[in-house]
Amino acid sequence: MRSTRTDPAIWELEQRIKYWADEFGRTLPEMRFFILEGMEFASLLEKKVYPVSPINIWEGKSMVSRRYRIQEGLESSIYYEVVQTGNPSYGYLNDTNSPMMQASVIAHVVGHCEFSELNVMHDSDEDRTERVMHICRKVDLGRRQMGDLHYTRYWNAAESVIDLISPNSQYNLARSVDTDAHTMRAQEDPGEAEEREGPYRPFDSTLDALMVLEDRQSAFEREIRQRQRQETLSRRGYKLRAPCQDVLGFLLHYAPATPGEQSVLEYMYTTHKTHDFVIRTQIMNEGWAMYWENEIMHKLFAERAVGDIIDYCRVFAGVCYPRPWFQRNPYHLGYNMWQHIKQLYADGKVSLEYAEETDLDRRSSWKKPDGSDPLKHLEHLVRTVTDYELLRRFLTPELIHEFHLNRLHKRMAQRMGINPRDVVQEDEQHVWLDPVPVKNEMLNFFTHFYRPRIYLIDTDFQDGGLLLFHRNDGRKLREEWIKPTLRNLNMIWKAPVALISGTTLYGFTANTYKETAISEVSFEQVAQRLQRDEKPFNIG
Amino acid sequence: MADRINSNESEGAFNEFIEDRLEDLVENILNDGNLDTRGSEVIVDMEDIQPPTFSYGDGGQGGGKGQGPGADGEQISFGLPFDQLMELVAKKLNLPDLVKQGQGRIKEVSYEFKTFGTTGVILDKKRTFRRALRSSIGMGSYSPEEEKYDVLIRRRDRRFKLPERVEKPRFRAVVFYMGDISYSTWGERLELEKRLVQFIHHWLDWNYGPGNVEHRFFVHDAEAYEVQAEQFYNVSNAGGTRASIVFDLVSNVAFNEYDTESTNFYGFYFGDGELFDDDAREITSILEERMRPSFNRIGLVEVKPSRASHLNKLVGETFANDRVIRLCDIREKNQTVEVIKKLFGGARAEH
Repeated sequence: MRSTRTDPAIWELEQRIKYWADEFGRTLPEMRFFILEGMEFASLLEKKVYPVSPINIWEGKSMVSRRYRIQEGLESSIYYEVVQTGNPSYGYLNDTNSPMMQASVIAHVVGHCEFSELNVMHDSDEDRTERVMHICRKVDLGRRQMGDLHYTRYWNAAESVIDLISPNSQYNLARSVDTDAHTMRAQEDPGEAEEREGPYRPFDSTLDALMVLEDRQSAFEREIRQRQRQETLSRRGYKLRAPCQDVLGFLLHYAPATPGEQSVLEYMYTTHKTHDFVIRTQIMNEGWAMYWENEIMHKLFAERAVGDIIDYCRVFAGVCYPRPWFQRNPYHLGYNMWQHIKQLYADGKVSLEYAEETDLDRRSSWKKPDGSDPLKHLEHLVRTVTDYELLRRFLTPELIHEFHLNRLHKRMAQRMGINPRDVVQEDEQHVWLDPVPVKNEMLNFFTHFYRPRIYLIDTDFQDGGLLLFHRNDGRKLREEWIKPTLRNLNMIWKAPVALISGTTLYGFTANTYKETAISEVSFEQVAQRLQRDEKPFNIG
Repeated sequence: MADRINSNESEGAFNEFIEDRLEDLVENILNDGNLDTRGSEVIVDMEDIQPPTFSYGDGGQGGGKGQGPGADGEQISFGLPFDQLMELVAKKLNLPDLVKQGQGRIKEVSYEFKTFGTTGVILDKKRTFRRALRSSIGMGSYSPEEEKYDVLIRRRDRRFKLPERVEKPRFRAVVFYMGDISYSTWGERLELEKRLVQFIHHWLDWNYGPGNVEHRFFVHDAEAYEVQAEQFYNVSNAGGTRASIVFDLVSNVAFNEYDTESTNFYGFYFGDGELFDDDAREITSILEERMRPSFNRIGLVEVKPSRASHLNKLVGETFANDRVIRLCDIREKNQTVEVIKKLFGGARAEH
């Protein structure tokens, strides 16, 4: 790994790109670029884009297999762009790329870095890479304290929980767990306040006392509950107020762990928590990066800073190739969405007047620019919405058809058993499906991200056990992985763990795995019970 | 920041981790793996291992949803050091060391000067001088620009040659592979045969050291002759099979070309077991009178035997449960391990 300063040609290109980004008025953090060799590149990817990730067998496995595949020519070692955003941002370039490719990668990274700075989820933070490097040192120290065997076991156990990170969920840590630090805030919870107030809103306390007929029984119960909550908080330091979807976040804070184990969990959480941002904004993010890459590359080609424009076009077309909606090509969709939205603003079509226009001819020839810069509107969108809202607002069935999101290869359609009645158009190779349901399908993705939704609902289940709940969405969990996953959780929580999925309670206690048939409970029931300070689930 | 990003430590950790698992996998590798070699490594294909999570495992149904992290059936391939696999095979299948009784171990211990230490008898002048020069430059006593040319040899600069224990094989071995190449040997039969030959090749190489084993290939249809390894699997289209002539040829080669005192003989016959006339009787007599006394191991493997296969049945009448002569048949790929156990397992080979 070496800095781009060691390569005068790339250094010059980097400066030109930064110059043009500045000319376009981009908001950028400090960006540092490094040049890597092929295997270093592959290695970095396995290290979650942090150069000094701690030892773990999964990285080893991928690299052993990848090295073999690269040597056998089954896989190329060329990966175009790898960036760790934040301030400063770190971009990594592959030294086997041509100067034109390096320029396009740097320009692409510019787009990502700006998106990370501006977006509504406030992804960018200071010294992210440096902080992870610090955690890595802690993990390394922890490894020596724990011994290699225990370290490897604990690390592998923690790998099982990586998917259970949801820092931005409605049921994230802050909203679902009361701690002694947050007791005051918990009492101000708007939901609870509303419940207490009832339907009347008196303006005066005397009237309040007269109108709200609170029976003594419920007042007494509330008093008891309040006391129990206080006692639990002072005894354990935390209490579940709602189902918690950020399971790893919870374990990081409250699982009994040695400093070494703690650092492993911290590493896992810190390096994976940004995935939530990535997945929620992937279309906008990649689209934004492609958009600015394209703009900057045009300037570079115009001033002859780089050549090979045909090659660039070929790569660009390959990256932005349309794929069906479920295969999600965020580059293609994002880039075209931003171009489309920019055109909408340029034509003044994002207005009440246009929405209310019923004359089709007038609508199709609409051109009433309001004089504002469309780019400002795009930036406003970046600052205010995520993918879900962007698609909901701007993706129309016509656009889905135009972007070929509903287009399948005939072979694939046959394999998927597509009903011929659903096909609206077809040619020799492809069929196009009805675009209307496609939009809903695409929006549904943002509720589950193709992953099961697992919540932590009890931390004192059957004497100190951790109880997880799989929210039913009509699909079953992979059966043979439940036991090993629970065993891994057991290792972290160091007490019994259990999972409710459908009508089965899976439990792992003291090296014993047990499945018990139960009657099904819904997620809403569980949430309500937690809100009422009751046990969310009892056997029998 | 790291100067170089590499995964050495993690790869090492993975290799250690996989060693435990490999013990369970050895049978699968032998039965299903391709046993290809690349340099000193065996390519291992195994089912991907992944950290378990709560996930949906029903693959890409319903429009590609639920591509869980554990997509089934994915394979990973990597090179495993050849010695390591063979060690595991020996351990797992409980195969004995192949020892020529009465003449000590296969391996002989000697000492070679391979390492260097700070104390010892034989001074390594080159190393010592290099160290002395380095420290003299460091201390400033040697500096050609200032016309100082003193090289001080301090005690701590001295390096001595130290002997290291080296195990060298004491005995050579020669393996005779005998194959029936009449037209009935083709397709799956040939695949099974190849797999076994490859294993025997690797196994004996590992036991005696790769340079110390000679592998010789003999084939027969109506005649017997020696071929190159790659021709061993070429099938002739001559009809007629006489197996006894290949045993005759091999025993002649063994006694005329090698020193029977210091050479370990191994003979493995592969064929469909379909014989003519009194072939089996002749084979039995060659085995009993000439080969058995001097050979460490003789294996007769019927590959996918048919109803007309009588070789093992007839030979077995004389050599049932023999220590040297092992009779077995293989019908399916997954019997490979069983056959290997039969060929090499059990009591120590004697002669």
